[in-house]
Amino acid sequence: MGNIMSTSFAPECTELKHKYDSCFNSWYSEKFLKGKGLHNECEDFWQDYKKCIEVHMKKQGIEHLLDDARKEAPFENGGTPKGKPTQLSAKDSKAR
Amino acid sequence: MVLYMKNKHTFQHDFETVTLAYFNRYPNPYSKHVKSIDTVEKYIDLEGKLHQTKLIRKCGHLPNWVRPFLGTISSSWIVEKTVVDPISRTMQTYNCNLDYTKLLTVEESTFYKYDFEKGVTHSTATVSFRSRFKRFGALNLKDKIEDWSKTRFTEHSQGSRMGLKIVMERVRQKMADRL
Repeated sequence: MGNIMSTSFAPECTELKHKYDSCFNSWYSEKFLKGKGLHNECEDFWQDYKKCIEVHMKKQGIEHLLDDARKEAPFENGGTPKGKPTQLSAKDSKAR
Repeated sequence: MVLYMKNKHTFQHDFETVTLAYFNRYPNPYSKHVKSIDTVEKYIDLEGKLHQTKLIRKCGHLPNWVRPFLGTISSSWIVEKTVVDPISRTMQTYNCNLDYTKLLTVEESTFYKYDFEKGVTHSTATVSFRSRFKRFGALNLKDKIEDWSKTRFTEHSQGSRMGLKIVMERVRQKMADRL
């Protein structure tokens, strides 16, 4: 938020990321949370940024991370971790 | 054995501040180990909920006793999924490491819910620690790794929350400036 922003894994994409993130932050506050239409006006920034990270993932040989990230579908189970025990003590528990 | 941990916390901020701070929580003074964060997927579903997938790169060190089995690990990738429901003012987050999963899988699920009456945001987190390591003679590495990671996680949780609170204050200030 503000002037302090995180970097992309690929330094070449950080500037595009910042443009997208700034746009996203305003859109999220001003439009999305206020229910003012679902159209996301950050689409152009998003496409540029996405293209950049896809290229650099390939270059660094880490494209599989994208597939891995997409594969994870934690919310199908209501967002609870896989194999979560049905009974949990209030604070802390160990399960076999 | 798999270890679990539950954690509840109430943030003295509204939903917009909490979620914006969550999305923008890096960098903060407590996140020096976080190298990068990238959005790799986002869409709005038919119910109007916003889904995002991010990739986070963290660096960190493993304890000495695990080195003979794995050598040194300098960084790892984390996947983060978030779903925001703007109507009910709730957010579900999920974080999990993508590599070294044979050694250890840490999954964290947190549910954020805005309290319309009190104007605060409640969070409930569930974390699981799972190692697929086998026993090496008398050394039960699996349990040892899970115990170690849970202890480390608990130590770091305080810092993560402090970091998030600093960013919340930053977000709140920015929203005040906007008015």
